[in-house]
Amino acid sequence: MLADMSGIDTDELPFTSTDVLILGSGGAGLFAALHTLQKAPNADVMIAVKGLLGKSGCTRMVQGGYNVALAQGDSVERHFMDTIEGGKWLNNQELAWTLVTEAQVRIRELENELGCYFDRNSDGTIHQKAFAGQTFDRTVHKGDLTGIEIINRLAEQVWARGIQRLEDHRAVALIKNAEGSSVSGVLMIDMRTGNFLFVKAKAVLVATGGGPTMYKYHTPSGDKSSDGLAMLLRMGLPLRDMEMVQFHPTGLVAGKDTRITGTIIEEGLRGFGGFLLGGDKQRFMQKYDDRLERATRDIVSRAMLEEMRRGNVGPNGGLFITMKHLNKENVRKNFKGMVQRCADCGFDLVSGDVEVVPTAHYMMGGVIFNQDCSTEIEGLYAAGEDTGGVHGANRLGGNGVANSTVFGGLAGDAMAEWISTNGRHSEPNIETIKFSIAACLTPFSKKPGFLEGIRQKLYELMWEDVGIIRDAASIKRAEEGLDSIEAELDETGVDATTLAYNLTWHDWLNIKNLLLVSRTIVAAANVREDSRGAHFRVDFPEVRDVENSFFTKAKYSHGEIIVDTEQVKFSLVKPGFSLLEDAEVK
Amino acid sequence: MSDQMLTVLVWRGTADKGRYIEYKVRGLENHTVLDVVTYIQRYLEPTLSYRFSCRVGMCGSCAMTVNGKPRWTCRSSVSKVAPGGKLKIAPLRSMKIIKDLSVEMSEFFDKLARAEGRFHPTSNRQNDFNHVKPDSVKRRLASDGIECIGCGICYASCDLVAWKSNYLGPAALNRAWTLVNDVRDGAHRKRLNAVAGDAGCHACHSQQGCVESCPKNLNPTASIAGLKRVTAIAVLKGELD
Repeated sequence: MLADMSGIDTDELPFTSTDVLILGSGGAGLFAALHTLQKAPNADVMIAVKGLLGKSGCTRMVQGGYNVALAQGDSVERHFMDTIEGGKWLNNQELAWTLVTEAQVRIRELENELGCYFDRNSDGTIHQKAFAGQTFDRTVHKGDLTGIEIINRLAEQVWARGIQRLEDHRAVALIKNAEGSSVSGVLMIDMRTGNFLFVKAKAVLVATGGGPTMYKYHTPSGDKSSDGLAMLLRMGLPLRDMEMVQFHPTGLVAGKDTRITGTIIEEGLRGFGGFLLGGDKQRFMQKYDDRLERATRDIVSRAMLEEMRRGNVGPNGGLFITMKHLNKENVRKNFKGMVQRCADCGFDLVSGDVEVVPTAHYMMGGVIFNQDCSTEIEGLYAAGEDTGGVHGANRLGGNGVANSTVFGGLAGDAMAEWISTNGRHSEPNIETIKFSIAACLTPFSKKPGFLEGIRQKLYELMWEDVGIIRDAASIKRAEEGLDSIEAELDETGVDATTLAYNLTWHDWLNIKNLLLVSRTIVAAANVREDSRGAHFRVDFPEVRDVENSFFTKAKYSHGEIIVDTEQVKFSLVKPGFSLLEDAEVK
Repeated sequence: MSDQMLTVLVWRGTADKGRYIEYKVRGLENHTVLDVVTYIQRYLEPTLSYRFSCRVGMCGSCAMTVNGKPRWTCRSSVSKVAPGGKLKIAPLRSMKIIKDLSVEMSEFFDKLARAEGRFHPTSNRQNDFNHVKPDSVKRRLASDGIECIGCGICYASCDLVAWKSNYLGPAALNRAWTLVNDVRDGAHRKRLNAVAGDAGCHACHSQQGCVESCPKNLNPTASIAGLKRVTAIAVLKGELD
């Protein structure tokens, strides 16, 4: 049967069709579905997701909240400038402007039309809290579970609307039409049966979320594996800013073979007075920054890495965070969810020391896209963490969920317009389908091996050589290391007893995608010979030549990653200037 | 718990047939049940099927029956749920099995829709936010049940769901109750009709399995009692269709 599949008669490939196919069910995917139907009520909309609708992906894991300029004294100009300053002037300014202006619409849509019930001040007005890197308290939230509120409300609207759900469906290749001019559809694996399926669509949205899960310590949901970015690369689209991987200073370390390792221990703990301790149980931040534990994410992460490399570590190779010197009741009250989570997993956050490490959190980089979420391929759209340019070299906390919901909605509007005007079904490129199926089936023709060992090698390499700090030598090591890991993966097979819900097969495909996207991180990091935002080169520690800033563009062609650069257009404001003064003068 | 050898019985099979298979796993101090399941798949039985996503109790993808009780496996430490070193892991009850430990949850989500478990707007994006005082009675009642993540644990623990397949179940009714108390919502009558029927709130026997099992410490039984009260009053007033 497998042999039949690799030489598959594509006439027999199961196929279905829809007007709009959405990959991913986070904030971007669900908003896109709802907006498509608002503008084109009779459209067929289908959402495909690797797990369950609304449950996979990271929007629901948002704890902080949603940045939006609403209050008196705040302005879109101020939110914009915070975003650009945070992004170290690498942002596409038009996209950042779209983010801050459209967020004002989207937040009211979330509350007034979809039913999100955000927290209020005592007088009944909307509450906005302070968040790092911002000059105004503008983060709308629902306790510390804002993401759950947003995704729950979006999902229940989607469930009620007859939108077709392809759950446990993994997208494996974006397929162009025979002429190569537009998208024809998406090749998928129905994970429940293990069968391939082709979904033909007039418009396709890639909204799978990025997710730097190729790092030994990472925060995103565990089923993410940069699938969207890998598919976009294979289709030939350029990814920008891939060297920009944001690390969060405190991820939990629970020891070998624990799923929870890498997940966030919230930032607020340090703001509240928590101490970071080395393996010797002494504070160390005084050696690195006057602000101690409250220094910015990048400084704390680098200091922690330095301590770890000195060997000043705990039993699992991490450092410690402790709250035990603070009032226990206050800690319990202010960090209820986190205290409970730690307790369930055997850690005492109130009176103990909890082992932590910096952890890969978010990819600022992604596919180059336009304000309406269109890409260089007709009919192909992208939104959320799969895209690049909105955040530049670093993302502000609270701009992530704003990004996915703002652009997801805009993608829905644009796709509705497209399918009502020019969009039509087209025949797929059969050769690409055959090639992609054969590539997916590769591991079944090899002797089953130990995938977990390969994943661990990838984790270590990315963490050590292209993680929080990089230099020319480490980048070179990573390039060679990835080659050898990929060669090993290609010779490692998977048990073919059954293809139905075969997670080990999907682990293989996950690692394959992570390797490809890791290559773009390495290649882009090699080209950027300065340090800014999330990218720190030990051999080029300064921010260089901001006035002539460029961004990296990585493409995949004939088995190689090619990186070139393009000048950043300061279309709204130049370095050294601020929109804010203009706005305030007005 | 110090590290110990665990005896793990894992249900394997499809909707039609299956059985428990025994595995031996070295349990480490910080291991959760999800870690044990993952270990078996990665090291011992590569074709074992299960579902998980967030790893931290926010998505509700990884609920399974653990030693007879439905639990989030990602947040259940082995030392707490299996102090004797014996684990028996099965798929969630009352849901159709896909393979091994993964289940089809569509019916559970469809019932949320059937209970009108979604917001019906009375305002739109052009308007400012409604003023709602955080300490008002209705906001507090709405907030009490709003943090449900839809993991299906209450549904799997409910005997009535197991006996009566069309019963909407605790999660859907709990969501309906938060919306009944949502002063911004515009479908009060429609929702009361949706939950007042045979398959709705009055079917609940208040056995409180849902309350005991909810990992978020929500109280669906109290929500359902609230619905019983308002639907009864609506009947008396002739407000139901």
